[in-house]
Amino acid sequence: MSKLISWNEWIGSKYYSNNQVYKSNQINLLKNSNSKTCLICRGGKLLCGKIRCPVIAKAEALLKLKTTVDNQLIQGSTPPAVFVGRIGYPKINIGPMIPPFFGDTEILDTPELWMGKKIEDILDYRFSLIRGKSRSDIFEAQNPGKLLGELQELAMGKQPVDTEATFKKKPNSVLALNEYSPPFGPSAPLKTFKTANVSVDSRIEKNFNDTDMTASDSIYSLYNAGVLITRIQRTFSLGMFGLSKRRKLVPTRWGITAVDSTLSKRLVKEVKQFPTIDEYQVFTFTNIGNIYAAIFIPERWSFEWIEAWYPKTFWNLLGQSPELMGDFEPYEGRSTYASVGGCYYSARLALAEKLKKDRRQATGLILREIHPEYTLPVGVWNVRESIRALLKTKPMKFDTFPKAMSHALKELTIPANDWAGNSKIMRDALFQKKISQYFHRSKNEIS
Amino acid sequence: MFKAVVQDAKIWKNLLTAISTLIEEADFNTSEDGLKLRSMDPSHVAMVDFEWSKEAFEEYVCDKPTNIRVNITTMLKLLRRSKSEESLEISYDEERKKVDLTLRGKILKKFTMPTLESVEEEVPTPKLSFNARVKLMSETLKEIVEDSETVSDNISFKAKEDKLFVKASSELSNVGMELSKTDGALLELDIKEDSDATFNLNYFGEMVKAGSATSEVATIEFSTNMPIRLEFEMSQQGKLMYYLAPRIEAE
Repeated sequence: MSKLISWNEWIGSKYYSNNQVYKSNQINLLKNSNSKTCLICRGGKLLCGKIRCPVIAKAEALLKLKTTVDNQLIQGSTPPAVFVGRIGYPKINIGPMIPPFFGDTEILDTPELWMGKKIEDILDYRFSLIRGKSRSDIFEAQNPGKLLGELQELAMGKQPVDTEATFKKKPNSVLALNEYSPPFGPSAPLKTFKTANVSVDSRIEKNFNDTDMTASDSIYSLYNAGVLITRIQRTFSLGMFGLSKRRKLVPTRWGITAVDSTLSKRLVKEVKQFPTIDEYQVFTFTNIGNIYAAIFIPERWSFEWIEAWYPKTFWNLLGQSPELMGDFEPYEGRSTYASVGGCYYSARLALAEKLKKDRRQATGLILREIHPEYTLPVGVWNVRESIRALLKTKPMKFDTFPKAMSHALKELTIPANDWAGNSKIMRDALFQKKISQYFHRSKNEIS
Repeated sequence: MFKAVVQDAKIWKNLLTAISTLIEEADFNTSEDGLKLRSMDPSHVAMVDFEWSKEAFEEYVCDKPTNIRVNITTMLKLLRRSKSEESLEISYDEERKKVDLTLRGKILKKFTMPTLESVEEEVPTPKLSFNARVKLMSETLKEIVEDSETVSDNISFKAKEDKLFVKASSELSNVGMELSKTDGALLELDIKEDSDATFNLNYFGEMVKAGSATSEVATIEFSTNMPIRLEFEMSQQGKLMYYLAPRIEAE
């Protein structure tokens, strides 16, 4: 009862190490999966009924490193990077991520620096980080042991730190993919771990030491102090903020969205105090197989995020036509988790950030087309940083929604009707009349 | 100076709740004859038009017309503290630019809240004539709205011959309703011309739900692809009226 489909063009032969095993570039998906199943699931819900996401499993298999780390001892400068696992929650793995070389390794774990890089570059960065794993418990954050204490200090580091780790066995040569976080490289159970002195970021340290401040207040104040989101997410994940009795470790991939969601919620609250923009604004931007368009509507805050996945893209391998999916929030916000997942919150953060900078509010409609050149999910940072870049471009201004829309459509390839069918904001903007249009008696009215 | 006393604070609370479904801040225009509030929601899709004549108050003093702009949400938050059988006194201190809300029950409670700078130009009323007029119990209207909300974000009204047809549809499901005077669902039905129009249920639903608390009887008036007017009759000399612009899908 399975259906075989061909994998799309892969990203270069560099990573094909297992050609003998995976001769055919094909993936098994259950027949009852329809074209939207993958998009809704994104490897998280396992809607196809398999124990592992077959798309991710296949991609990971294809991406095995040719050259493996043949050593149980690793010495190198960590960016600093740490990892908090999700499997076995609340008993989870934690550990450092260390490349086998010294120097300025910051870029390996700093997605803010990855805009404009190719997917191959990002995979190279991630492959070079060897992840040590050690069992912990989420509540260890309230009373950190030796390793967690070292990781927490590391995570506060201002620059890369020299470290040495030994493993119980040789690291595997896997690249672990997921929708939320950047890919993770090879891993092995950690035996010993040593670090040089860490020069910590005093802004983060202050919040770490404040056990009367909520995690939400801490991350917002760090954000406002200019600390990179990646660093906030890293330290948040290690349970370093919040009231002392409530501190917990948070798996990296959950922590990313928790921080995006919390920050954007607080920013939106501020944005709602500002006057609305005066005209329709359109932004467009293209980056590694992704086309983005944002339409700002001169109305009070609300937000919609719609993605269109072309056939042969990661989450629409089965489909014959582009699949669209999105989420919306009205002025009051939303109370349920967005069905598209973490990218919604990353997009909302980038949008709220822009509006706050302009000291304006608006209804924001952001559209994203994913084309087959975007071969792998590299994490939601890609959405956040792309939309930051999108909203840094100079907008075109229009006086009506249809004009704004038709400008955005010039850059996009999906037709207006398909977007409108999936967009509440677009339908409202096109169909909903304003009461102010009726203040003057029109000629076709019966007197 | 401005001072008004309402015998039952709950009435005022319900009215403010009804107003707050559309707007957060608004000007109360006070004059010798009474109090008015007319304001559009921030998206300019809907409008609330509220009037209370001085006779509707237990006591009413206003020596010169004044615009008092308040945050409705804040005022409502204070009024939520009211209990049944408490009277409410609203007064405005021009010098301090504060509104005092005094609740008199077993305990005398005085809340003071700030006013805001009045910025709003006077909002005109839409120039409309209506070809269909339907009077029905607020409860009936609420039921229609709630039934429609189960399937759609929009509600369509169609007045034809001696019936009101209500329709709500989404991609997969839809609901259709028929109401007539003979079946007892309507109190009055007056059709000059067949009329058909569609409205956003988020707006309309909120209006109906909040308005129903203020009156047992509601009147809707509409024409083909034109705004709807929703009025809640007050037993005293007051009116609560909403306008909502239509949704027109076929351009």
